[in-house]
Amino acid sequence: MNIHEYQAKRILSQYGIKIPKGGVAYTPTEAKKVASRASSKGPWMLKAQIQSGARSTGYFLEKSAGHRGGIRLVKSRKEIVKQAEEMLGSTLVTVQTGPKGKPVSRLYVEAYTRVGQIFYAGVAVERVSAALTLLVAPIKDEEITNLAINHPEKILRVPLDLEGETTKEQVKEVMEFLKLPPRSAKSLERFINGLHRVFLDYDAQMIEINPVGVQRNGELVALDAKISFDDNALYRHGDISRLRDDYETSERELQAAKYKFNYSEFDGSIGCIVNGDGIALAAMDLLREKGVGTACFLNVKGGVDKDKIASGIKIIMTNPRVEGILINVLGGFLRCNLIADGIISAASEVGLNVPLVVRFEGTNKDEAKEILQKSKLPIIMAETMEEAVNLLVQAVEESD
Amino acid sequence: MSILVNKETRVVCQGITGTQATFHIRRSLDYGTKVVSGVTPGKGGEMHLGLPVFNTVKEAVAETGANASVMYVPAPFVKSAVKEAVEAELDLAVCIADSVPLKDMLEIKSMLKGAKTRLIGPNTPGIITPGEARLGIFPENIHTPGKIGVVSRSSTLTYEAVLETTRAGEGQSTVIGLGDDMLIGMDFVEVLERFHADKNTKAIVLIGQLGGTFEEVAAAYYKGLKKKKPVIAFVAGNAIPFGHKMGYAGDVITRGHISTQDKKDAFAEAGVIVVDNINDIHLRLSEL
Repeated sequence: MNIHEYQAKRILSQYGIKIPKGGVAYTPTEAKKVASRASSKGPWMLKAQIQSGARSTGYFLEKSAGHRGGIRLVKSRKEIVKQAEEMLGSTLVTVQTGPKGKPVSRLYVEAYTRVGQIFYAGVAVERVSAALTLLVAPIKDEEITNLAINHPEKILRVPLDLEGETTKEQVKEVMEFLKLPPRSAKSLERFINGLHRVFLDYDAQMIEINPVGVQRNGELVALDAKISFDDNALYRHGDISRLRDDYETSERELQAAKYKFNYSEFDGSIGCIVNGDGIALAAMDLLREKGVGTACFLNVKGGVDKDKIASGIKIIMTNPRVEGILINVLGGFLRCNLIADGIISAASEVGLNVPLVVRFEGTNKDEAKEILQKSKLPIIMAETMEEAVNLLVQAVEESD
Repeated sequence: MSILVNKETRVVCQGITGTQATFHIRRSLDYGTKVVSGVTPGKGGEMHLGLPVFNTVKEAVAETGANASVMYVPAPFVKSAVKEAVEAELDLAVCIADSVPLKDMLEIKSMLKGAKTRLIGPNTPGIITPGEARLGIFPENIHTPGKIGVVSRSSTLTYEAVLETTRAGEGQSTVIGLGDDMLIGMDFVEVLERFHADKNTKAIVLIGQLGGTFEEVAAAYYKGLKKKKPVIAFVAGNAIPFGHKMGYAGDVITRGHISTQDKKDAFAEAGVIVVDNINDIHLRLSEL
């Protein structure tokens, strides 16, 4: 789960990390008020609060929002109102949002902070070695992902412990790597400690501060902040769960999340219902080989209750992009007959208007096939995944 | 022969009185697995499925000589369940639950360092040595004893890989699902090592997927082996566009490698037989 920049900054500042003075605004008038509190004479930063990176290089879909991006430097009070009017209620498109963009319902208004050197700082988990890792890199124009792919040696990786105790040596290592001035030492120590503890205390999955700025007095300031939390640990953080912003999430994604299913949307035309991410990936690969894209996939995991499964199947059936449905289930934990019951119950509620190919294997497979055959629904049965994909592609072409 | 589990393995089930555990332990017993006891805190002294139930793993080990555990406990309790298994010095612990918190897994991984216990999972179908022992949730009817080792990071694709061995007219020595989660216990390297040491395994089917660098590490290990058994690999995830939210964003900054193609290239370079279509595995197996 992700939260907004202003929420992330609030958490970080509680852990001693310095952030620019500012506040959140839902209206242009509010923006002006918040700006006055943040700085008496400016300039200010107006930042669109959507959960996406690369907001500054993004653009708004609406002409009325002007041609500037989602992060704007503003020099006068009058300008604040004008720019806020442009941005609020408009739709911001970034490289991460997809062409539909995301609606901007609030702005974060900050005092502009003058800094010299800037750098990237993050905390993430390296999977193979299972190491909690602090990552820092000097950045100029290059995006951190590009840097990681093209020049991984330019990123310093420091393993962190699970107690939240950063050592003096680690701080020194970062100081030297980034060539920070000696007067930044104290501030850097507080900064790293803060990130380390926020990650552990809040069950984060990843924290990114991009960029951190170094002020003239050596103080480090988090100019941006991104925290994503581990969904699997939200049950022990009621305060974080309440920050969830459903405004940006599609109705179908919300439905799927309600039943704890994995649901992902893409640009293609086939809906896949599976019981594992791996099998979803493999099915998508096969579809792509046949020149067909995936519209969405729903992983019902071990979802053992027939009604839950029916609700999941309905999510796929009601996605307007979907021109054909592939159900590929290898039952282990999940029993195939429950999926069969779910299909029938979903089809009777929302109707089955597109070709549906089903492939069952594993636990209670024969029982499941029998249930579908008895239902007299126009369902095509397949024995292997490849056959299922071929039959579906064929059926969709014929139904056009 | 087989790896990690066989008909001599004495299994204790953690969380035995739960619904899923009851369903699957009954099937494992029917399959011939030597399940000797169960553990459910607070239910010590009871009998379940004809097996004695204990409050702790230590008691179960002392009383019934268990050396491996299969746990069906829900995610929030996985950390303490693994801790018990490690402290009881079991050889193997198999964790079926999905959605284990990342921080708990970080602590579990640190707990496992230097420990005797090997962990399979979490979020795995488990491990099965056909005809001998089933620890997990595998649909047993698709397996036959044989000479192909199967190891997979994706739960459901494990079954798919097993079906491919059957299509090639082969059976399996041992089948292992490593688990679908961000952090997992045993990895490809540890399993490849054991399959290479197992006389009965003549070839290995390996299923990788997008995310992490488990495949790259496995490829490097395999490349360095002097005596190689044939490995046929499939890696899922080619169709996922770069930057899609699926998977862990931290992978890129921690390691740089990101695409399925990178993994396939690493395998091919190491001498692994790579297939682009999972349903081609049986063809490559027949050619061996």
